Amino acid sequence: MDLTPRTATEPGAQPPVRKRRWLPILIVVAALLGGGVIVTQFLTSAIDYYCNVDEIGVRPGCEGERRMRVQGVVEQSSIKQGDGGTTFVLDFNKKTLKVAYSGDPGGVFQECIPVIAHGRMVNGVFESDRIEVKHSNQYVEKNATRIDESNKEAAACSVLKG
Amino acid sequence: MAGQSGTGTSATRRLGILVILMLATLALCGLWFSAEDVVQGSTVRIMYIHVPSIWTAYIAFGLTALCSGVYLSGKNRSLSWDRVAGAAGEIGVLFVAVSLVTGSMWGRLTWGTYWVWDARLTSTAFLFITYVGYLAVRQLGGTHRQRARRSSVLALLAILEIPLVHFSVTLWRSLHQEASVANPNAKVELDGLMLFSLFLGLVAFTMLFVWLVLHRQRAMMLEDAFSDRGLDVAITARRNEAGA
Repeated sequence: MDLTPRTATEPGAQPPVRKRRWLPILIVVAALLGGGVIVTQFLTSAIDYYCNVDEIGVRPGCEGERRMRVQGVVEQSSIKQGDGGTTFVLDFNKKTLKVAYSGDPGGVFQECIPVIAHGRMVNGVFESDRIEVKHSNQYVEKNATRIDESNKEAAACSVLKG
Repeated sequence: MAGQSGTGTSATRRLGILVILMLATLALCGLWFSAEDVVQGSTVRIMYIHVPSIWTAYIAFGLTALCSGVYLSGKNRSLSWDRVAGAAGEIGVLFVAVSLVTGSMWGRLTWGTYWVWDARLTSTAFLFITYVGYLAVRQLGGTHRQRARRSSVLALLAILEIPLVHFSVTLWRSLHQEASVANPNAKVELDGLMLFSLFLGLVAFTMLFVWLVLHRQRAMMLEDAFSDRGLDVAITARRNEAGA
């Protein structure tokens, strides 16, 4: 505890050094910088994270051969794997888009599930190098007595399509 | 606090035992009794921590704003309000961190990636940074009243981010799914025991939050009292020197 008036009465004594709390100041500065980076990311990436399949070539920002993110539902029986890649068809609002992905999609990628593909249009095919699976807000219990193996896939598909 | 050796009372001890029992029940329901999700499998179990964490953070920051508002508008401006606000802010930051980490783990398993800059994740990260800044501002120095005044103003501004975070998935296109319970359609999108486990998690985490706030604000009161006592001792020493 420092009370500065004492040194004023002591001739020759060094003036008191006021202790600054540097750590909180540094944290405040770091928070401001971090906030700035996040706001920048928000403005450049977070607003309208993707284009829907039916908006390609129609909506501003979703046209041409520019890099974009496209959202749609993986069409049933459209997934084909081979030559180190995966092809499938995305479906949204009765519009379809063929996607060629260079690898094996991760997450819970499967038929009838909404995904976001990152890439660009090349000769009518969307060449993708990143797939993100967009899970719906529906949570359905895996219940052996209710959904048997033969219709599980179809049930999951109907659930996901709503 | 007379006759007490710590920040606990018989009431907080009873609450603590109840919290332990609730968390144990949540673990049983979440890990054992509730079924896997038809798409996600066992990954769904992360939800029983992830959602209650962000729920508790919302409550915490709401309490921070409420107490800050009461402090600024009250006639006597009791520092107790400021201490509860600070305690809730600290615990809220902790729960946002838990939510971000568990969400990231869930994202890796479900989406295929730990992080994306979509509206929900970005706004949550911003919320986290804002309240880290709030806690840093509380430590900048000055008197208790200066601390209370500046942090209260910041808390009242920061609370505006909560609706932004919650509604980010409906306001903008997001990889993150919309709310399964508190959604605009008022339609619950979870099956029976999943919903029960989630509800249990919300109650258990809220009780844990109350227990933590009670202890932390009492610890803060002791810190403030210790600081004030140091000031009193220093002033007395100066007076004695002047009188000598």
